[in-house]
Order: sequence, then structure tokens, then C-alpha cells
Amino acid sequence: MDVLVIFIPLFPFIAAIIIGFGYFSSQVMGLRGELSSSDVARNAIYLSSVSAILLLIADLAGENSGSKMVGQWLDSGNFVVNLNFITTGFNVVVAALFSVILVIITVFSKNYVHYEPGFRRFFFVLSLFSSSMFLLILSGNAIGTFIGWELAGLCSYLLISYSYERPVAVINATRVFVTNRIGDTGFILGMALSFYFAGTVDWTSLNGMAETLSTPTVTVISLCFVVAAMAKSAQLPFSPWLARAMEGPTPSSAVFYGSVMIHSGVFLVILLQPIIDKAPFTMGLLVIVGLATAIYSYLVGLTQTDVKSSLCFAITGQLGLMFLECGLGLWELAMWHMCAHAIVRCFQVLTAPSLIKNVNGNPMKPASPFFTNRRWLYIASIQRFWLDPITDRTLVRPVYGLGHDLDRFDKNIIDRAMGDPVSSFTAISSLTQIENEARRKRVDEIQMEFVRGKGIVGKLLEWVANIMSWFEERLVLRGIGMDLVTIGRNLGHAANMFELLLLKPRYLVLFVFIVLMLAASI
Amino acid sequence: MIEADFPFLSFLIIVPLAGAILTGSIRNTDIAKHIAFYVAILTLLLSLFTLILFDPSYGEFQLVERYTWIPLLNIEYLVGVDGISILFLPMTALLTLMTMLAAWNSVSLLTRFHFALLLALEGVSFGIFCALDTVLFFLFWELTLPPFFFLIGLWGIGSHRRSAAMKYLLYMIAGGVPILLAFILLASNHAHHIDEMIPLGLSFSLPVLLNTPLPDNLQVIVFVLLLLGFAVKAPLVPLHTWMPTVAMEGPTHVVALLVGLKLGVYGILRFAMPLAPVAAADFSWLLSVIGAVTLIYAALIALQQTNLRRLLAYSSVSHVGLVIVGVASLTVQGLQGAIFQMINFTFMASALMLIAGFIHHRIGSTETIHLGGLSSVMPKLTFFYFLFALASIGLPGTSGFPAELLMIIGALNTHSILGFAALSGAILSAAYMLSYTRKAFLGPVTRSDIKQVFDLKPREIALLFIPGLLVLIFGLFPDYILNINQSASEAWLSRLTIQAP
Repeated sequence: MDVLVIFIPLFPFIAAIIIGFGYFSSQVMGLRGELSSSDVARNAIYLSSVSAILLLIADLAGENSGSKMVGQWLDSGNFVVNLNFITTGFNVVVAALFSVILVIITVFSKNYVHYEPGFRRFFFVLSLFSSSMFLLILSGNAIGTFIGWELAGLCSYLLISYSYERPVAVINATRVFVTNRIGDTGFILGMALSFYFAGTVDWTSLNGMAETLSTPTVTVISLCFVVAAMAKSAQLPFSPWLARAMEGPTPSSAVFYGSVMIHSGVFLVILLQPIIDKAPFTMGLLVIVGLATAIYSYLVGLTQTDVKSSLCFAITGQLGLMFLECGLGLWELAMWHMCAHAIVRCFQVLTAPSLIKNVNGNPMKPASPFFTNRRWLYIASIQRFWLDPITDRTLVRPVYGLGHDLDRFDKNIIDRAMGDPVSSFTAISSLTQIENEARRKRVDEIQMEFVRGKGIVGKLLEWVANIMSWFEERLVLRGIGMDLVTIGRNLGHAANMFELLLLKPRYLVLFVFIVLMLAASI
Repeated sequence: MIEADFPFLSFLIIVPLAGAILTGSIRNTDIAKHIAFYVAILTLLLSLFTLILFDPSYGEFQLVERYTWIPLLNIEYLVGVDGISILFLPMTALLTLMTMLAAWNSVSLLTRFHFALLLALEGVSFGIFCALDTVLFFLFWELTLPPFFFLIGLWGIGSHRRSAAMKYLLYMIAGGVPILLAFILLASNHAHHIDEMIPLGLSFSLPVLLNTPLPDNLQVIVFVLLLLGFAVKAPLVPLHTWMPTVAMEGPTHVVALLVGLKLGVYGILRFAMPLAPVAAADFSWLLSVIGAVTLIYAALIALQQTNLRRLLAYSSVSHVGLVIVGVASLTVQGLQGAIFQMINFTFMASALMLIAGFIHHRIGSTETIHLGGLSSVMPKLTFFYFLFALASIGLPGTSGFPAELLMIIGALNTHSILGFAALSGAILSAAYMLSYTRKAFLGPVTRSDIKQVFDLKPREIALLFIPGLLVLIFGLFPDYILNINQSASEAWLSRLTIQAP
């Protein structure tokens, strides 16, 4: 019965292609288009759900061999990646559960996004997402899981920016994608290190080698994957992205952040159980991060006044508890917790819009006296512990600042040093600029420009000639006068500027980074 | 080396050049345009035929043709391909076809000359990828300059196009000098090695020079000279500033050729490293550092750009940095990933640049302040843009992913810290691509002139369709590409590791 596993991700993928192609060629428009695309998506997910459940039954009956090899995807030297699937155990259970949830959500969405302009786009993304999620869960190697992982992230980007006319939605989508990208680099690093140390990226063989690898190696590999899991499951310090991601339509919130995608981090941790069991440091990190996220989410959740935000913090809190359980070695509990949570949250998030309608007009419950007595905690909770501004201050703005400075450096120093006949950066756009340019040229000519050169060699010659003429004119003819004061002032000014630049923390960090890079590469 | 029984490669070089002369000499503009188009299609078919003739399991040069050219200096007409260069032939042909279609209606001044130059450029580029004699290579290398000079200077879209063409020409001529010097040094070293007089013992043939031992101190000089020359074309920081200038001033389809054909990196791969193997192995850390600096530096600047053409120029520089990191890792994975990525560029980076051209053609600007909300007026263009942007980010499912994955794995295995630089480059590339997408394509339509803009025409869809398909096919089935250059990459690496233990 192993063959069934291929069809689980394949059906939604084909559906995505059909819907996407129909959308692109605009063959099916209007209501008919709506019906046909939602039908395609629904039937595909029905089929893969049936396959997943059959696979689960076969597995429970002991019919499955454990893995299914489809073919070779990529090989380069000794780096070989196969397209293979796991057909037993927890993976199959999760696949069956998620497939049922996806069926429910697909059916629910049909009426929910009815007559919306992006109807077909929604079902295209939903089908693609289902396919990539199944690949993530069932793939037998890290690369396949990563492909599903990234494509799920892309789908989340596409659905957060579902109503792309709204600037807030697209800003949030970009932010969420880039935040998740930080976690993804952890995943890539983990894959590269497992290949380097263990010589394989297959989950089964990697887990099998847990005994033979040394503790530091296991720790480093597991840390990389755990960072990826933390980012995907919105643990601290990545938590704020989840609140931003609630921008999308409700069914997408349910499927991505309520029940399915958000659990892929926990799933990855559970998948790597043999490796993580050997790495006490990683276990400790899981405990700390899980506990901190749970406490943080509880405190922030207390002051949320809208249904989606309070759900969002409830979700991160529960996920924090799952991480905590994994860290404490209670793997069985974490598995149960994850499955149960997925079911409950799916229901809660899907009913959230009705809830808003039902409680409309009810008076707001005041904050508990425990909170009102501790003002600072209250403020911190309302501000969500300033996590977003802190990231902005420490990461986003310095990077943009660095980009800004480098841009100016590129324009003003490198481009000029190379001695170009033109710089597009100084392209003239208005008459005033031309006049200013001309005036400056005249002033330059009146001043002591003896010769004009371009480029390093030209400039060198120019400087030598100018120094000679300056020497001739100022020192020999006029004698030392007020010019020396001016020069001194200019020099001081330049030195001041240099100091100011050096004092900016981003340059200090950059300097340390470069030194480290040089040291490591030699 | 396997000699060819029929001069396929010479044929491939001559057909576009003859087509160029034909296009230039026909009076009727319309007929000339069509002739150029059919010649380009014929060349594409020929190059695909060469790909079929090619035997991927053989790691050395194949389809070799050898004729005496200048007997006094032992200069030969020697052409051939191996697994590293073969794939560039169909890709160059495809790229030329794409640029031709993109420029079909937008060129009204000296149209025949324009299309003749595009064909000539194609022939010369084939020459670069096939030449196995260093002098022949240098000839083709310098012959790319006149077409580019005229294409940028005459049909540029910026007000400083003449000066931009001059800037490009000066940079490239300056880059040519160290390359020629290095080739002369190598030839005279061969004469010295076999104890012959200078004109008699000279050899410019690459297969001969590869087997001529070179003293270590001379290796360093040759390597540095070649690296310097090729770094200008690649381009690597700090020799990259011609790229944004040309991207702003030149016509977009010509810039697409410039960002698509990674001739500089090819030069490093074909000549600089194998000809000075000991120096290349010794200085691989330096090469990696230069690559990493280029990668991060250009990515950070790209983060600040508000103009799509300059953003793409810097993004292309940044990607070159990653390719260099991959090559300098001296692992099969890094090398194959680098070649894969260079092949990706020919359709991915150039398609993005062509899309920038389409936007410019319709709205007259690619600045974000003049755009906004394009996706609701031009859904098809946005779809293609997004697909290529995702490939440029390296998202799984697109061709960028296997290439980047292999390069990062190679880099992490050799210079682990530089692998981190490559990873942070992956984050930055997502940041700059998506924030431009957000500003230009998403959000509300704010300007009234955008509302009347047309979506892609059938011709434009046709020319973007093939690269779009390739992005997905190469992304889903990367083994097709990797199998072609597998044995050649291994041969390349073994040459480097045997001579430099």
C-alpha cells in the first residue's frame, strides 16, 4: 500500500496547476469559473484525504514497508537527493489528520469567499498549500521537507496579501515572509551540516546515526533545525509575525495559523526526536523557549480585545507548551497535544467571524485586578512587550541604514574613484541643476584647478600638479596666510565626520563580523 | 579530446555572423527584421542539435576543430566544448531570440543595423564559449565590445547613453589588458618549458597550456591578472559600477543580454583557475571573500533601490558574488551549483530585465513613485515578474533553488563562515525583491495614467513563456542539467586538486 503516499501530495498539486492555468489563460470567468475551480480543488483534496486515510489504515494493519522510493531528484558528486516518502508512524497519522482538516476548510471556504474577486486565486493557493504541506509531512528526506516548508511559506505570503490593494496587508505579508526566511536559513544550514557530518539528508538514516555522531555535532545540527522550527511555529523571538499574518481571509488563517502550517515547527522537532534526545543543550533551549513563549503569550493574550489576536496568542501559547513538552522529553504527550490542538483550533478560528457577530454589542470585560495593580506589566502586555519595535531597532533599521550608507559610498567614492566619463547617479533632471552645475564649474575654474584628471591615475597626476601649483602660488608667492586656518578647519571637520560614522553601532558590528570572517577563512 | 567529423561549432559561430551581414545589407527594414528573426531561430535549432551530439559522459573537450591560423606564432583556430560550456550555447541562442522579440517594435532608428548587431553579438558569444585557443578567445572577447558600444550608445533610453557606452567600453578595454598579458606570459612559459626559441615554442592552445607546468610565482601573477580582467566583466566589487550605469542608460533588452551572459565568471571558470591551479587553490579563500563581499555589498545596496533597473543590476552583481563563492569552494556541489546558476541567469535575470523594459515602455519609468498597484492592471505581467522574482530569491520549485542549495552546501563545506554570508544573502534577496514587489505591484493604484496601461501582448507572452517554463522544469527536474556537466565538473576539479595537493 506504499504507493498511495505518492498520490497524497500529487492530487492537490495537479489541482493547483489546473486552476492556475485556467486563471492565467482566463478561460473560465465569472460564476462558472468559481464553481469549476472550487470543485477541482475540493475533489483533489477529497481524493488525497481518502488516500491518506487508506494509508493510515494500511499502516495500522501493518501493510506498509516504511518508505517509498520514487526516483532520484538531484545528484552532484556524493550529494544525492531522492524523492522518497515515509509511510509509517507519526507522519502518516498527521497526514491523515491534516487532510481531513484541509477537506473541512476547503469546503468551508467555498461559501466564505464566494463572489470575492480573488476567488480562484484563493483556491489555487489553497491547493498548492495542501500539496506542499503533504510533501513536508511525508517526505523521507530533509530537502523534500524543506521544499514543502518553503512553498507553504510562499502560500502564506500569497494569502496574507490576498487583498493586495490594502497597503497594510502587503507590508505584513513581506514582513512575515522575510522573518520566516531567517528560520529557513537555519533549515538550510541544518541540511548542509547533516550532509557534512553524517553524509546524508535522509531523515531515517540521519536519525539512525544519532548514536554514532558526537554530542557537539548532534547539538549543532539539531540547533539549526530547532531555529527553523521556532520561526515557523512563531516561538520567541519570532512570535510577532503571527499577529501580522492574521491579515488574510478567515479560512486561510484557520488553515495556516490555526491548525496546519503553524504546527510544522513542532512536527519537525518531533521528527528529529532521536537526534534531539542526544543533545541536552537543544533540549534545554526547547524548554526555555517554550516556557518563555507560553508565559509571554499568556500575559499578552490577557489584554487582547479582538477575537483574532486573542486566538493568535492562545495558539503561540499552546505551541510554546508543545515545545516545552518536547524539551522535557515527553514526546508522546507533545504528539497528542499537537493533534488535539489542530482539531480544536480549526473549529475555533473558523467560527471566529460568527462569534464576532454573536457577541456584537456585549460590554467589554474589564481587565483583571491582578493586572490593573501592576501597571508596568499591563503596559508591556498591551504593547506586546515591544517585540516588533525592538526587532526594528536592532535588525531592520541597521540593515537598511547600512544599505543606505553603502549606496552613497558606491555613488560617491567607488564610482568616482574608477574615473568614469559619466555617472548615472548624478544624472541631471532639472534646469536648476544644470545651472548649479555650470556655476559650480565656473567657480572651480576660477579657483586654482591647474589640470583636471579622471580616475586614479588621472587624479594622482592632477593632485601632484595641483600641489605643485599650490605650493608655487601660496607658499612662494603669497606666503603663509589665512589659508592654513581654513585647511585646519576642514581637516577637523572631516575627522569629526569619520568619528561620527565610526560611533554608529552598525559599523562596530560590521567590523567585528569582517574580522571574524577573515579569521575563519584563513 | 574528440575531434568533430563535421565543423558544427564553426557553423554555429558563422551562421549568426553571416546572418548579421545579410540583415545589414538588405534594404527593406521589414524583410531584414524577419531574416534576423529566422536566422536566430535557425541558430537556436543548430545549438540544440549540438547539444544532442554532445556526449555528457566524456569529461574532456569534444567536437574539437583545429586549423592553423597564424603559423608564425603557433596560433591556431581551435574550438571545442565540454560539459561546462555546452549548455551556454542553446541558452545564448534563446536569450538572443528573446531580446529580438522584445525589441521587435520598440526600435525604429537604424533598425537593420540594430538587428544585425544583435546577431553579430550572438555569433561572437558562441565564439567565446567555444574558443580553446587563448588568442582566439581574446579576439572574440574584444569583439563583443563594438556591438555593445553601439547598442548602448545608439538605442539607450537614458539621457547619458553615449557616456554610458563609453564607460562600458573603457572598463572592458581596461579589463582586456591584464588578460592579454597573462596569455602572453603563459605562452612564453610554454616556450621556456620545452626549451625553444620564443616564436617557435610559443603555444596559445588551452589544452596544451593546461598540461604545461607553471612555476608557482608565475602562477600567482597569471591568476591575479586573469582574475582582475575577468572581474571587470563579471562584475565583482569594486569594479562593478558600470553595471548600474548601463542598466539605467542602456536599452533594457541589451542590458538583459549583459546580465544574462555571465562571460566574466565563465572566463574565471575556464581560464583563470585551471591555468593557474596552485594559485587558484591557494587563493580560493581570497576569491571566496571577494565573492562574499560582493554578495552582501550589492544585496545591501539593492535594498535601497527605488528603480527596478538599478535594483536588478545590483541583484545581478549580488548573484555573481554567490556564484564566485560557489566556484571558490572547490567542491563538486559548489561548482555544479555555480554552473547551474549561470545557466539560470541567461533566462531568469534577463527575463526580469525585459519585464522592466515592458514596464518602462508602457509607463515611461521604473521608479516606484511612478508605479504602484500594477498587479490589478497588468495581472499577466505581474505573474511573470513574480515567477522570475521567486526564482531569483531561490524558492523551491523554481530553478534558483537547486543551484543555490548546491552552492551553499559547497561553500559551507569549505569556508563555513562564508557559507553564512551566502545564507544572509538569501535573506536579503528575499527582502529587496519582495519590498520592490510590494511598492510597485501591490497596493492601491494611485496614479491615473496607470489605469489605462495594457497588459502583455501575445508577442511578449510568447517570449516570456519559454523562460517561465524553463524556470519550472529546471526547478522540478534539476538532474537534467546536472548530468550534462557532472563529468566535466569532476574533471575540472581533479585538474585543480592533482596539481595543487
